[in-house]
Amino acid sequence: MSGDVPQLLINGLLAGTQLAVPAIGFTTIFAVLRFPSFAIASHATIGAYAGYLANVWLGLPAGVALLAAFVVAGLFGVASDEIALRRLRTSGPLTVAIASVALTIVLENLVRFGFGNDQRGYAVAVLRDWRVDLGVFGMVRIGPQQVHNAGAALVAMGVLFVFLGFTRTGKMMRAVADNPMLASLKGINADRVAQLANFIGMGLAGFGGMLVAMDTAVDPLTGFRVMLSIFAAAVVGGLGSIPGAVLGAFVVGVGEELSIVVLDPTYRTAVGFLAILVVLSFRPRGLLGERAV
Amino acid sequence: MENYLLAMAVFAGCYALMALGLNLIFGLAGMINLGLVGFFAIGAYCSALLTVKLQVPLLLAWPAAILAASACGVGVALVTARLRGDYLAIVTLGFSEVIRLVASNEIWLTNGTDGISAIPAPGRGVLTPLLFNLQFMVIVWLAVGLAALLVARLSAAPFGRVLRAIREDDVIASVAGKPVLVFKLQAFAIGAGLMGAAGALYAHFNAYIAPDSFQPLVTIYVVLALTAGGTGTVRGAVLGAILVVALTEGTRFLGGVIPGLAPVQIAALREAIIGIVLILLLTYRPGGIIPERPRTHRLEVS
Amino acid sequence: MTLRTSRRTALLGGLAAPFVSRLAVAQSGPIRLGTLTPQTGAGGPYGPAMVKVAQALVAEINAAGGVAGRRIELVNEDDETNPDAGVRAARKLIDVDKVSAIIGTWASAVTTAVAPLAWENKVMLFTVSGADSITRLPHQGYIIRTQPNTYLQSTTVGKYLASIGAKTVFALSAQTPFAVDSYNRIAEVLAQNGAKAVGDVIYDASKTSFRSEVDQALKTKPDALFLNSYTPDLAVILRELFRAGYDGKKLTYGYAANAKLLETVGADVAEGLISFAPSPDLGSPAYAKVKAILGSDPDPYSCQVHDHISLVALAIGKAGAATGLAIHDTVRGVGDAAGTKVTSAVDGLKLLAAGQKVNFEGASGPCKFTSAGDIEGCRFRFDVADKGKYRLLGLI
Repeated sequence: MSGDVPQLLINGLLAGTQLAVPAIGFTTIFAVLRFPSFAIASHATIGAYAGYLANVWLGLPAGVALLAAFVVAGLFGVASDEIALRRLRTSGPLTVAIASVALTIVLENLVRFGFGNDQRGYAVAVLRDWRVDLGVFGMVRIGPQQVHNAGAALVAMGVLFVFLGFTRTGKMMRAVADNPMLASLKGINADRVAQLANFIGMGLAGFGGMLVAMDTAVDPLTGFRVMLSIFAAAVVGGLGSIPGAVLGAFVVGVGEELSIVVLDPTYRTAVGFLAILVVLSFRPRGLLGERAV
Repeated sequence: MENYLLAMAVFAGCYALMALGLNLIFGLAGMINLGLVGFFAIGAYCSALLTVKLQVPLLLAWPAAILAASACGVGVALVTARLRGDYLAIVTLGFSEVIRLVASNEIWLTNGTDGISAIPAPGRGVLTPLLFNLQFMVIVWLAVGLAALLVARLSAAPFGRVLRAIREDDVIASVAGKPVLVFKLQAFAIGAGLMGAAGALYAHFNAYIAPDSFQPLVTIYVVLALTAGGTGTVRGAVLGAILVVALTEGTRFLGGVIPGLAPVQIAALREAIIGIVLILLLTYRPGGIIPERPRTHRLEVS
Repeated sequence: MTLRTSRRTALLGGLAAPFVSRLAVAQSGPIRLGTLTPQTGAGGPYGPAMVKVAQALVAEINAAGGVAGRRIELVNEDDETNPDAGVRAARKLIDVDKVSAIIGTWASAVTTAVAPLAWENKVMLFTVSGADSITRLPHQGYIIRTQPNTYLQSTTVGKYLASIGAKTVFALSAQTPFAVDSYNRIAEVLAQNGAKAVGDVIYDASKTSFRSEVDQALKTKPDALFLNSYTPDLAVILRELFRAGYDGKKLTYGYAANAKLLETVGADVAEGLISFAPSPDLGSPAYAKVKAILGSDPDPYSCQVHDHISLVALAIGKAGAATGLAIHDTVRGVGDAAGTKVTSAVDGLKLLAAGQKVNFEGASGPCKFTSAGDIEGCRFRFDVADKGKYRLLGLI
């Protein structure tokens, strides 16, 4: 079994890159709005469907479809927050979190109402894996598509870092995340920042949802299937920390794959939870603390 | 029809027991628990396994189920004591999923995804289905009555006041000399015990349980019951449970009202309506139908 | 307590008011049948087509004059692929709608949960669930299962794989009540036929990647893979197998490899996938009818629901009464070998009205059942994916 470790590590790293995108989305919303949004699941699904419409109905290439997934899920995120969640913010973060559970049920079922439960796939050719000789570590296989996906995920992360680090709006968002009181004293419009956080956060969820769906299939449960892993990644890394979400995604991704050496594959879902318990026992606020945007 | 209403009353009673348990843990002590279906499952499996595999009498199996769920509650509380609310929400959610995984995988103990069938109950097969349901309805609502009494007493007692103090600010509570951890553990133990009791009753009424009976949706419904009814209040928890069952069941009858929809669209609409009603309730009755009356003076920053 | 009860009763009663008036005429009015299928949750890919077929068939029977002059009325409920929700829906069907049969339960856990309600209330339960434990329940004959049980299906798989020259077989199974039994039986049959089962991995079907599971299977370099999956996870696994360059034989259940799946994963990935399903004679008009209703190659569950509805209609026609007990007593008699072979309920009802015997053969095959409710004398069709379309390999 241990001879498989290099392959398992590679599988885990690729899975982690994919998980990182929606995990960043989740943690961004948390950083600004201070509640864990369960609606991340349905927005990932919405992104997967938006990408499907762009790719299959309009015949656009997968790269453009990913952009469509981002924009449509982002807009849905802003609209659904405006309609369903915004007025609840005064009742405290847990109320909003509970409402976001309800919201995700509503959105999942709107998708089901419109599209049914049938599985759909993208017009993307599935490619054979590359085989790479790692010398003493043996042969490993790497999927070109996983590498493309990982590349897309890295680009999305890079753009976000540049946005948050170097643009005025990005800096405004970080200011609100770091200290909402101070930010409002400085005259930063909190509502506008909240909208932006929702757009980016849910947009990334949609982007990640399409990445997942390219490997699986588009159906109303696409986002729901990765929800627990997204939570685990964000919590392990530290809620509200973007680098933390990336790190957490790798910990969970690699952990889930490596666990196959010691655990039945049916226990894979438990790995994320175990990672949470271990990390939180030593660092109650996750690996990279919080507000370390 | 009466038969159906009685059965739904039994399910509402189970939800009410869980909502009362959640009221202690979340409503009074302020610790969010999104893993309550895990305690429900532990109670159900414990009682079912004892009676089916070891032929333990019900009157011993039910207390055992409560104790088992309680013990797990203490365990979860110990592990999560240092965590802030949002972390606690996700950790407890993970806990209930792990319970479901264990129930699916440890086939030697739980019979896996096949589930456990023929769980005994007094009078099953002897009484008519109507009388059986009636009898069970009485048992479950007696349990709810007892639990409500217990939670109301605890809530009015110094114990409840300390829990509320912890909810508002556990640092102040501990500075005031209260052993915060002990109180949290007690709240979790009693609350989880009530959820275990609900699980035991549910298993014996249904005669069958399987890992899929314990999906996170149950947690959502109970949280919905408590928040809709009135977090922190006993009457709110019970009323909320009835409301949730009325909502999930009442929406079944909508299907015939709208013509021209495929069954999958009706099913989707039904679930969407349940979600929308919850959001509306949270928006327009943020304190629930029976809001908690403030018992202490406190300073609100927000 | 009384106050609470009455308040609750009033609340639910108010919601259900439109049904109370209809209840009163239940004995002389239409015959009520319930469908209980997964419209949401993990079984969602299957439920909608099942109900569509049921509705179309009921409309056809009603248009031809109904059963013994009475119309059939279908009440559809969603079991949410969840035994808890399934039980509540079944209680509504039984106690409020007063159905005499429940049709189409899919998940084994839902079927097992609903079964006691069926036999306690003398309502027939027609299921497509596969777990062997279902027909071992003390159901007093109130369960009819059109899905061949795990033992029979696994025996068929083992024999077929050996017959196409697979010497080593690895199984990848979604975690279901029949995953372990299925593998053990296949291993047994392979051993009897000079081949060998070299291992199995049981996976969590709700995950989105099975890369490492697939690696584990391929490491044994099997001649053939048995994919004991459902549609969503099968899509992922087929892609992984393609990427890994696996070109060996792969066999799966017809319900997992439905026509939609071939579209989803594309022709290259599905190429060579063998799917098998219980089947009627080739050229069966019943199968053709289900295909026409759905507009595509039907999956086995839709075919079986066609047969459920037909069996119920014929049983009621034969008994002259529409209670669950009447269906229970006569349903085994409508596949009477001495009778005239019919493939549609409407034709069968005419013959029954004329006092003749019928031998019903449905869209999923002949409909003879053991006293435990399992199907007998079932045949299987094998199809292979060939450039994005299924090509029939043969009937066994």
